[in-house]
Amino acid sequence: MDDFQIYKSYQRLLKNEDLSTPLAAILALTEMMEQSNAGTMFELLTELKGAAEALSRQSLNPIGLKAGCELFIEFITLFPHDAASFSELKTELIRQGQRYAEQALAYRAKIAELAFDFIKDDSVVSSGFMFIDWHDEIDLHIQILTHSYSRVVLQTLLVAHKRKRISVFVTEARPRGMGIKTAEMLTAAGIPCTVVLDSAVAYAIDKVDFVLMGSEAVVESGGLVNAVGSNQIAIIAKAANKPFYALAESYKFHRMFPLSQYDLPSHNPGVLSFPQTMSARARPASSGLPSKASSVLSDNGSPIRITQEDIARNNPDVDYTRPDLISLVFSDVGSLTPEGVSQYLVGMFAG
Amino acid sequence: MPVPEPESASAESQSLTKAQKKAEGRARQEQQRAAKAAQKQQQQSGQNAGSSSNKSKGSTVQKKPASESNKIPSAAASSSKDAPTTREGAVGADGLSDGPKSRGLRIFSHFGLPKTPGHQIKGDIHPAIVKLGLQFSEFKICGANARCIATLTAFKTVIQDYVTPPHNTLSRHLMTHLSPQITHLVTARPMSVTMGNAIRQLKLEISGSDIDLPEQDAKDALCQEIDNYIRDRIIIADEVIEDLAVKKIKDGDVVLTYARSSLVEKILLRAHALNKRFSVIVIDSRPLLEGKTLLHSLTSVIPPIPCTYALLPALPSLITDADIVLLGAHSLHANGSVYSRAGTAMVAMLAKEHSVPVMLCCETYKFSETVMLDGFGKNELAPMKFSPDAPKSNSNLEVLNPLYDSTPASCITAVVTEVGLIPPTSISSIPLALGRTTL
Repeated sequence: MDDFQIYKSYQRLLKNEDLSTPLAAILALTEMMEQSNAGTMFELLTELKGAAEALSRQSLNPIGLKAGCELFIEFITLFPHDAASFSELKTELIRQGQRYAEQALAYRAKIAELAFDFIKDDSVVSSGFMFIDWHDEIDLHIQILTHSYSRVVLQTLLVAHKRKRISVFVTEARPRGMGIKTAEMLTAAGIPCTVVLDSAVAYAIDKVDFVLMGSEAVVESGGLVNAVGSNQIAIIAKAANKPFYALAESYKFHRMFPLSQYDLPSHNPGVLSFPQTMSARARPASSGLPSKASSVLSDNGSPIRITQEDIARNNPDVDYTRPDLISLVFSDVGSLTPEGVSQYLVGMFAG
Repeated sequence: MPVPEPESASAESQSLTKAQKKAEGRARQEQQRAAKAAQKQQQQSGQNAGSSSNKSKGSTVQKKPASESNKIPSAAASSSKDAPTTREGAVGADGLSDGPKSRGLRIFSHFGLPKTPGHQIKGDIHPAIVKLGLQFSEFKICGANARCIATLTAFKTVIQDYVTPPHNTLSRHLMTHLSPQITHLVTARPMSVTMGNAIRQLKLEISGSDIDLPEQDAKDALCQEIDNYIRDRIIIADEVIEDLAVKKIKDGDVVLTYARSSLVEKILLRAHALNKRFSVIVIDSRPLLEGKTLLHSLTSVIPPIPCTYALLPALPSLITDADIVLLGAHSLHANGSVYSRAGTAMVAMLAKEHSVPVMLCCETYKFSETVMLDGFGKNELAPMKFSPDAPKSNSNLEVLNPLYDSTPASCITAVVTEVGLIPPTSISSIPLALGRTTL
């Protein structure tokens, strides 16, 4: 299976709305193993690593995908080799991979149950609010937006709605605007729900009891990589002393340690760059990022237009939330503090 | 823990202790002669030992006078050089005189002052250890890694020169032979965590060595183990850390570092060798001014790395320029606090205040299971020779230079170890993850 094929199968798998990027990556790797004719473990591992590399190279935002590949390769490396022949071992590994993906789908229910205990019923006090930012876990360029929502947050909310009274603020989550999709799903389920602007988070935060956040990956520092805007919500929640809970299945735990926003693999020089004409002319402090009306003329007389595409191109897809801003991470391995996440990750991969 | 002293062979051990006493007396006599000490105790036993020595430890004892006569003058010179600046309190803390302790050391007397080891060689100390002790107390060998490697290398010589006494086994007796050597090094300068960890590992190897192995083979095996330890836990670990840390240095970055860590130096040189374009701010402070050494090695590569050198008071105005702070460590404790050169805490705290990521570079063998809450419980004072402009002896001023401080875990973004980048709060789970019960 060549690089192109594995990416095709990865994309095909992503069309299944239950599969998030790490699981799709794991399944794509098992498919590759089925077709592989590697004769030894070493060859197989080399092929898998090559495939993982190819996947992350072709994907715009490879963080979640990498977490899945890393987990699967680690699993294969540590799998006991007691099968009679290598082909048997390979079949067993493929079966294990598929079974893991099946089991992993049940993780969300488990997380929902864990988080449920932290959601207070507002029977006595005035209305309780939750504040949710969510994002799609599918790469931008795959235009299958109908499938994309933070499944684990949604499932948690639906579970909570059955037994407790909740109402939800959802951020719009620009530039992809996926918050509207969540709001529709929640409203359809009968959950009171309001869409707030990303810029109105600080305004709304005082009405909120806690923040519930999905995640693209949970990294080794205990921090969170998630759709852009998560970090500012975490900062605002911290400033307002509101708990900030993250929901993440354990296959999203990723052995990566970003030191800052710009240390993320998704960061590239194009993000937050200044357009050529601007940087040549204007001082950086008064950059043209705030949208100017089209009536403004540049030096040579042509009107300056800043389109949504320009803005999206100059902006990041994901950002990094520091561990000290996160109260708890709910995952299928338990409710962990950020330190606990990093200890879990060290325990899993450091050996 | 194995019992170092065998209980069974009583007759042998008695004759041994006798021999040890003789050798001890002899050694003491040599010190006295060399240092021109005024005491004249145990002259007789010293002469006895002189006439009937070389029973069990031939080469060791024979070598000693030559090497000591080499070493002692320097120690004497250093002590005489130190003498004018040595305060009453310093002497008092030494326990050498009963003079009143001066005020400054009343709180910090538990740090202990470095002693001049030439005066107090107790027991059968191997010349390599005597030499090392002098290098430690003179700060010729300074820094956790260097001290650990030097100690282990010296122990290799000691082990090779060691002869198991008759009716004794190496695995049981060698440690009793090494213990005074270790004690001697500790009197020269307090033991570093790295040395402690390495010695603990060495003890484990010694007690586990096969009784039936021929003595030379057992000694060779131990030396091999020591070499492996140095290679695996220090040299290869450093290479892995370099690889990991270099990835975090990007083109155009300004790297700030404090004093000199051998590991940080290697990382910066490696980044330079990889053609990364970055500049370095070296922050330094008295009394050791170790940053100068770092500055020299960074600027003597071709092309030289652009460097800025400043002292600690200038840090607030420079920290805003830094993109990343790289720090070294003496040891890392179970609660995540970092024990490192005094001033490190200030750099880390200021960096946190300015949201500059702080990367601490530290091998896992520097981890300690103890908890460190502040820099006062345990510390070390710089010797007087590093404060040449000390106040006059009649003034009430006391010079106090603690060598280390403790940085809280909250000020460290990431610890770069050979097992990867980890947050400082998770270091206690590393030994478990590596399947070790000890560090």
